[in-house]
Amino acid sequence: MSAHTTAAGHDDGHVHHHYTTTGLDNRKIAIWAFIGSECMLFASLIATYLIYKGRSIVGPFPHTEYVNEAGQIFKPILDIPVTSASTFVLLMSSLFMVLALQAVQIKHLPLPDGAGWWTRAQRSSQLWLFMTASFGAIFLMFQAYEFTAFVHEGLTVKTNLFGSTFFTLTGFHGAHVTAGVLWLTSLLWIDRTRGLGPQDELIVDIAALYWHFVDVIWIVIFTLVYLIQ
Amino acid sequence: MASIAAPTTAAYASGENENTGIWSWITTVDHKRIGTLYLWTALFFFLVGGFEAVLIRTQLMRPNMGFVSAETYNQLFTMHGTTMVFLAIMPLSAAFFNYLIPLQIGARDVAFPRLNAFSYWVYLLGGIFITLPILFKLAPNGGWFGYAPLTTNRFSPGPNIDFWVLGLQILGISSLAAAFNFITTIINMRAPGMSLMRMPMFTWMSFVVQFLVVLAFPPITIALFFLLMDRFFGTTFYAIAAGADPLLWQHLFWVFGHPEVYILILPAFGLVSEVLPTFSKKPLFGYNVMVYSGIMIGFLGFGVWAHHMFAVGMGAVADSIFSLMTMLIGIPTGVKIFNWIATMWSGEIRFTVPMKFAIALIALFTIGGISGVMHSSPPADLQQTDTYFVVAHFHYVLFGGSIRGIFAGISFYYPKMTGRHLDESLGNWHFWLNFIGMNLTFFPMHFSGLLGMSRRIYTYDAGQGWDLFNMMATWGTYLLVVATAIFVWNFVRSRTRGAIAGNDPWGGATLEWSIPSPPPEYNFAQIPEVTSRYPLWDLKAPEKTAGIDHSHADAMTITDAHAVPVHEETERHTAKELGIPMPYPTVKPLVVAFSMVVMFCGLLFLRNGMFAVAMTITIGGGAAMVAGLYSWLTAPLE
Amino acid sequence: MSMLRLRPAAPALLIAVALLTLSACGGTEYPNSTFNHTTDLNTAIDDLWGRLLFWGTIVFVVVEAALVYTIFRFRKRPGGPAAKQIHGNVALEITWTAVPALILVLIAIPTVKTIFETQAPAPAGALVVEVTGNQWWWEFKYPEYGITTANEVYIPVGRTANFVLRTKDVLHSFWIPQMGGKRDLITNKTNNLWFTPNVDLGTNAWNGFCVEYCGASHANMKFRLFTVQPDEFESWAQHQASVAVPHRTPAAPATVTTASNRQPPAPTAPAEPTLGYVFPAADLPDHVIPKTPVPARLTYDDALLANGDPVAGQQSFMMGGCIGCHAINGNPMAMSPIGPNLTHFASRHTLGGGLFPNDDHHLARWIKNAKAMKPGALMNTIGIGEYDPILKGPVTAGLTDAQIADVVAYLRSLK
Repeated sequence: MSAHTTAAGHDDGHVHHHYTTTGLDNRKIAIWAFIGSECMLFASLIATYLIYKGRSIVGPFPHTEYVNEAGQIFKPILDIPVTSASTFVLLMSSLFMVLALQAVQIKHLPLPDGAGWWTRAQRSSQLWLFMTASFGAIFLMFQAYEFTAFVHEGLTVKTNLFGSTFFTLTGFHGAHVTAGVLWLTSLLWIDRTRGLGPQDELIVDIAALYWHFVDVIWIVIFTLVYLIQ
Repeated sequence: MASIAAPTTAAYASGENENTGIWSWITTVDHKRIGTLYLWTALFFFLVGGFEAVLIRTQLMRPNMGFVSAETYNQLFTMHGTTMVFLAIMPLSAAFFNYLIPLQIGARDVAFPRLNAFSYWVYLLGGIFITLPILFKLAPNGGWFGYAPLTTNRFSPGPNIDFWVLGLQILGISSLAAAFNFITTIINMRAPGMSLMRMPMFTWMSFVVQFLVVLAFPPITIALFFLLMDRFFGTTFYAIAAGADPLLWQHLFWVFGHPEVYILILPAFGLVSEVLPTFSKKPLFGYNVMVYSGIMIGFLGFGVWAHHMFAVGMGAVADSIFSLMTMLIGIPTGVKIFNWIATMWSGEIRFTVPMKFAIALIALFTIGGISGVMHSSPPADLQQTDTYFVVAHFHYVLFGGSIRGIFAGISFYYPKMTGRHLDESLGNWHFWLNFIGMNLTFFPMHFSGLLGMSRRIYTYDAGQGWDLFNMMATWGTYLLVVATAIFVWNFVRSRTRGAIAGNDPWGGATLEWSIPSPPPEYNFAQIPEVTSRYPLWDLKAPEKTAGIDHSHADAMTITDAHAVPVHEETERHTAKELGIPMPYPTVKPLVVAFSMVVMFCGLLFLRNGMFAVAMTITIGGGAAMVAGLYSWLTAPLE
Repeated sequence: MSMLRLRPAAPALLIAVALLTLSACGGTEYPNSTFNHTTDLNTAIDDLWGRLLFWGTIVFVVVEAALVYTIFRFRKRPGGPAAKQIHGNVALEITWTAVPALILVLIAIPTVKTIFETQAPAPAGALVVEVTGNQWWWEFKYPEYGITTANEVYIPVGRTANFVLRTKDVLHSFWIPQMGGKRDLITNKTNNLWFTPNVDLGTNAWNGFCVEYCGASHANMKFRLFTVQPDEFESWAQHQASVAVPHRTPAAPATVTTASNRQPPAPTAPAEPTLGYVFPAADLPDHVIPKTPVPARLTYDDALLANGDPVAGQQSFMMGGCIGCHAINGNPMAMSPIGPNLTHFASRHTLGGGLFPNDDHHLARWIKNAKAMKPGALMNTIGIGEYDPILKGPVTAGLTDAQIADVVAYLRSLK
């Protein structure tokens, strides 16, 4: 938690005029160390999910039907089309993040004569930060919908090993997305109040690194949990 | 605020010109002060853990003793392990990371000074959180390894394990925050010319350790999170009835637990690698190999975790693989031992107290290493695991190794930290009583273990052939009490009575010895430009370093840093006089740490079904933490 | 520094102590020694251990000698030579990387060989003993004979015993130090450990322990292993497999008739001599006889035991809640698998997870207040007036001391 909080916009690190060995800002190095640590965190969660895969005693199960003693039928619980849509949303948000960073980098450049709407849009960091955060929020709504639906269908964290591992793994990821949305929202707030310029490239860059990391992790989760049966 | 030129006056040594009020300690962001806080706190917990050990040994002095109850004993051995690992040895190492790394690499502070303060406060509060329950006989009682399913609600319905789970989560945050900080510091804050292969060995070993922390703590965070979810929210990660596999806990725990062993020992290796060359008047033998072997140890340390699990029935193939990996790790460790001996070879060995501790580390760690190779062989390990033989083994590694390295470090760096020497003759008493006590306590455990005495038993029957060994171990422990008392007396007394040390009392080779003792808040008035591994020897004893590469730093940004050739700094000025911007003191890291611990405390109330209370405290703490963080991050550093 | 001169002597002193102590390890003074050759398993392990100790000792002596020699020879002396500034030596460093590697290879090869040997499936014809760990006692089942017993396990010499290890609750570990290595009992998993006691081992008794921390009374979870001759084992097994019949002592013949009113008249009742083999109490080595002290605050008048009535005791056993946990084969009301099976309880030498000798003195106190006898014991407190930590007050519905004497007499009759 500490690294992304310190990287969240303001300077805990020594600022640019300080000499650094690599020439990079301290925060940039810290965020990479943090992401390395996060990899191990998700690796542990994913490994646990895989170890417990197929070992639940009672259903509902992710990919297969389950009939309990009372004859009640539980359909395979994962809704792959819906989650594919939410995955697409999250991927798109990564694209917007790239555009947001680019906007911060180029917004000070003079607009060429007769620049079209796209060229103008490319310089609007507010637009792209807003889009990124919104798509992150939409992803979270998908997840809230999914969790609610599962609970209605009879799967909670207490039901079986699948329920415990599934909700914990995707919930952990959801918490990361939530933190990211808050982070992006605060960047957007800074952008609206004082405007982000090229001198702020670093703080947007760090947020982008985190955001792309969270997206990549989701691709892994989506593949291992949803796609592979 | 007078700056005093002569480094030999008492006023100078006591750091009179610095603000020393209690508030200055609470709000400090100075890495040296934080290091000092770590040192005092960790020494306090070392005494607590030691006291627990004394009670344990008294109960085991004779067969069928009734000195403490079974329940109390189980709490004591759990807390002894937890305290020594998480609250004593790791933070003692952290004290040195904090104090030394910036000095050794020629930096004015760590990369994130306020985060550094945050790490300390989280450690202190987490330590209190996990230690206090023992006063109410509610301490964790599932062992420091906390194997599921014993630690689940069904078998441990009380709040004891809750304290352990939440306490370790809190402490983990402290370690991780510190690790990100030191990785960044070492990568990015080195003085011009201080290439990686010129870093002092302590900094190198610390560097390796930070990577181990960053990669090893997440698995235990997750393992603990599962347990926390099981205990508070009814998930099934370790629930037998749901078909859970208790080996999941063991794998996650030991994926952390084995690198943790190297987290505990490598800083000590680093410290003795500073001490041995200094008192042999020779450079470290085979610096490169020492670096590579440290990296190898750290790397292989991630591939050997299941050697803690040879008895669980993993199958012949897995047992063989983990056995061979474990044996491999013996090679880089052996190289270190031989290189240390070669460092002393043909030197001029001065037997100061730190040198004695360093030599004793080599002697005793070797014993722990050999018994380690003995249980890398699974069939033999089946006769040894969970017996006192293993207790003997890891106490030779941790008490014979880590603690000896730390005592070497304390006696070596005490003059740098305080400006005064520890008393030599008290130090000798401490060393010898500790050395004898240590061997008297732990060597007999090899025998009681091989003769069938299992671990973690609060009592044993008469006539099993273990009586003599236990009696010896207990008397050895009492000797250690005397030794430790002498050390504490020396440590406290020498702060005001010790002989004045000066910049460089031992003839050191590295940058920390070029600045006054204790160092001024800004460390280096001018950032030095380093041209070899032994910058201070280049300056003061060039004949020692004539045989190694010297070069000027790659020209990169040296002009930015206004670096100057390495020199001894004897003038003492304030940062303001020198125009060095220093970080503002701030209480915000403490506020954030405190609210975070409050947030964790809230969960404790879930046990009594006080859902509303729990949520109020947790959400209140969380909100205070976020507010504190916001205020912290929006305030300028310096 | 006079102390300095002691320094080189310290490791030598240690070695001397070590050798002296080790040399004494074989004798009966160390009854749980792991250095035995009593089975195929521990012979294999000890061969390996011998190698480890051999190389370990060499490394120890070389390193410590080099260290002591170095610090002695190169200590700073007035007028001594100046330090030589050596930064490293590639050849030397390769040597002390390669030599330990070579030693490790010499250890690794027999290690892997022994792993595969000792973890192979048990040979055909092995005697299967199903071991179930419980907090804090052991259950042993012999599917071949239909036996269920607790805390004492008999195996014949010369035949491989294959222990099938499971646990009902938390993790435990099964270890008989003198027979070979240990193996954990893992929840939701079945483990195996097998060994063959040497034919020439003789009839003997050995200590067994739980070695995985399992909670409050981990230290008190012990068992006894009896290696017996094949004919003795057959006799023991046949009898243990039979249903429980209260065997009266000749001194109390009058009670037999009253007993037959309640129970089907047991045809085997007169056949007193058909009792199977039991390891003779007189031959028990000292170290397998528990010496655990009884808590002083737990009082019981042993004089009552002389008047114990087994028939009344059986009644109390049925009515007093005992059958809620304990099974006695042959008693259709006592079938619960929760606690130890008491079918041939009187043939056992210990009680309470191997914690106390199985005599009337200890048994009465155990029944009265097991939790006081053994920390955390899950058995209910039965003696009226005893403090019950679950009720947080004195027991009101339980047995009086006289009734306990009856139950003792009943259990004593289950030979």
